[in-house]
Amino acid sequence: MHIHKYEKIWLFFGIGSLFVFLTIIGVSAFAQGNQPPSCLTTIDPEKVDETPPFNKPGLVKTGDNEYQLNIVASAFAYTPNQIEIPKGAKVTINVTTKDVIHGFEMAGTNVNMMVEPGYVNSFTKTFNKTGQYTIVCNEYCGAGHHMMTAKVKVVNKQ
Amino acid sequence: MAIPQLQNTKPKVKMTKESPSLKGTLASVFLLGFFLMFTWISIYFLFLDRL
Repeated sequence: MHIHKYEKIWLFFGIGSLFVFLTIIGVSAFAQGNQPPSCLTTIDPEKVDETPPFNKPGLVKTGDNEYQLNIVASAFAYTPNQIEIPKGAKVTINVTTKDVIHGFEMAGTNVNMMVEPGYVNSFTKTFNKTGQYTIVCNEYCGAGHHMMTAKVKVVNKQ
Repeated sequence: MAIPQLQNTKPKVKMTKESPSLKGTLASVFLLGFFLMFTWISIYFLFLDRL
């Protein structure tokens, strides 16, 4: 079969980029251990209120400058919805939902998860700047979807 | 008696293929490629900026 020289060039680039993508994904997943926010951590959605750590949602100190932020999403609110985080803290955010699928987006950051009933979503972020972030639901969840927000304040340590 | 034949009387014409010019196609393929690379790389830098 005759293939034009130019066709060979763009086929080479097309197939080459496929291998570049596969390599990046492979290194990211297997060497660096990256995973999607929801990675098979399950919870009984009907017993969220009794299951630790979601029976006491909020910010928990787990180590030197390390925190866990446990949040329960439900129609149409986040619990808690006013959060203060000390500046420089490395926070692992765990979110789950009691009812339907919700979104969890911290506007202006990479924190953006789809919260599904039965699963726990986790995302770790270091807050290096003081300021205020708004958490919004970005998955349509019902009549009060647009009212579903929470506020995070990053404050200087006392 | 005539022997039925289907256009066998015409002499066979040899098709000589000229390879078409694909310069414009090459240019447009790579324009699209560079556009995709530009958008992907800028999204990656947006991600890094928000870390």
